[in-house]
Amino acid sequence: MKAGFGRGLFGTHHSEPVGWVFAAMNFIFFLCAVGLGLFLVVESVPILRSEGWGFLLGENWWVGETFGALPMICGSLIVTGLAIFLVLPVALSGALFTSEYLPSSFRRRVKGIMELLAGVPGIIYGLLGVSFLTVGVKDVLNLLDGNTLFTAGFLLAIMILPTVLTLSEDALHSVPSEFREAAESLGLTKLQIALWVVLPQSLPGIVGAVLLGIGRAMGETIAVMLVIGSLDRVPGFNLFVSGQTIPSKLGREAVEALGSGLHWSALMGLGLTLFIMVAVLTFFGNLFVRRSSQ
Amino acid sequence: MGRYQRGWIGLVLFLSIGSGSPPATNAGTGLRIQVVGSTTVLPVASRAAQKFMESSSSRILVNAGGSGVGIHSVAGGRADIGMASRAISQDEKKRFEKSHLKIYPVGLDAVACVVSSEIYQAGVRQLTPQQIAGIYLGKIRNWKEVGGPDRQIVVVDKERHRGTRHVFMQYIFGNASQRTPGTLLVTGSNNEEQAKIAQSDAAIGMLSFAWINDDVKAVSLLDQGKEILPTWETVRRGNYPIVRKLNFITAGEPKSEIKAFIGFVKGPEGQKIVEESGYIPIGNFQP
Repeated sequence: MKAGFGRGLFGTHHSEPVGWVFAAMNFIFFLCAVGLGLFLVVESVPILRSEGWGFLLGENWWVGETFGALPMICGSLIVTGLAIFLVLPVALSGALFTSEYLPSSFRRRVKGIMELLAGVPGIIYGLLGVSFLTVGVKDVLNLLDGNTLFTAGFLLAIMILPTVLTLSEDALHSVPSEFREAAESLGLTKLQIALWVVLPQSLPGIVGAVLLGIGRAMGETIAVMLVIGSLDRVPGFNLFVSGQTIPSKLGREAVEALGSGLHWSALMGLGLTLFIMVAVLTFFGNLFVRRSSQ
Repeated sequence: MGRYQRGWIGLVLFLSIGSGSPPATNAGTGLRIQVVGSTTVLPVASRAAQKFMESSSSRILVNAGGSGVGIHSVAGGRADIGMASRAISQDEKKRFEKSHLKIYPVGLDAVACVVSSEIYQAGVRQLTPQQIAGIYLGKIRNWKEVGGPDRQIVVVDKERHRGTRHVFMQYIFGNASQRTPGTLLVTGSNNEEQAKIAQSDAAIGMLSFAWINDDVKAVSLLDQGKEILPTWETVRRGNYPIVRKLNFITAGEPKSEIKAFIGFVKGPEGQKIVEESGYIPIGNFQP
């Protein structure tokens, strides 16, 4: 299909105008991506010019005086890292069980529920989090207060679990059954097949699932905003204190800063930072997949 | 009760605007008036809007966001009326000089220093401004230092542009945008701060009088040996120090429909709504 369209584009199949429609659609997508990047870069020029590297390394965000993004960058990395750390074992074992052990009728039902959950918007999780999780975390861990980085990471883990689970399961399930049959004929047990044959084969798909999960976790605004405490502070190595992520900061201040010069530019700078962080992660994820498939 | 009522009014407003928006044939008669800003003023504005729309073809949309958002939005042309629970700051005056912002006070409110009910029950009934300052600066970290139980203080602050914070910090520190290194949590709206203080059993914060309830108790201020009770009676007599005007703000001279709405809120019916929302009508106050 790809090859056919390629030839159409370069002259042999002029009788396929649909190919040009596809190309135009692809171009729209390309424009969106480039436009978004350009917008963020252009809007953040003033803040980068006035703060320089201090923007990324500064610890203080005092509107009207200085803008340092380090607390938000640290917060985003910590919260997302924690969410992935919590989600990976659960999602992988769940996906392996659903794909390799469940009978197909059950599997379809489980998948349906997971996909339904994956579509639940962040605000729902946020409201549950602010009503129950913050209080629960405070009581169970005996903390001073429940609005912490840990709470946010835990909530994000719950939130991205269905996405990571269902996509990993897709990847596992799409491994051809010949692999399983061949392994079975060698006398491997079901567990051995799942762990040493199916899992390695589906690694690229699983990495993709995790990347999508990271993307959602890093970009989540409202759910995090409600439970993280919103305090601009470099948290150090303590997970049980309040903090701030890039999206929660944007959510709190964007409306106020709209059209107000440097403050707005600083928020756009935060957006650009987040954009780059996700892009770098995706790049390394893909690199890892390519390395491991060779 | 009050909060649920507000919720219902908001919902009714939302539905009546969302589903009942007339098609193009009707568009000429009704003007859409956007009202944005302070969550303190919001209950007044949304109730008044509901009442006003019963007898007017204008449609009024009321949205929250905070005083800073209200002022910025009306100056930037994204709203017709900005709501603010504080005056326009010097910085904002300079920045929005060209917008010719006009202020219409519609009511009065007072801000209390509030604590979790557990702390109140444990005996913290009054604080001096110096103690509150010490808490927000991180110098006082335990309730037992101010006569409470041996428990660490959960210091709740508000976003820096919020009107409630401006007047509170102005009174405590003499500086509306005081930095508070003792802060543990930052909240936005009055509702959010009320919920976070209620969820904690050792929190201190600042709230408009209308948001005080059984879970969130106001403490008296002990200023120069004199106890000032956080009651409307004290406010009416002009003795309570943290008082602010609730303002509507327009950019330049408003259109007649917008003027009519502001007039309605300042009139007898609107002032009754101000009182029902838990504030003081603007005429009743002699500072």
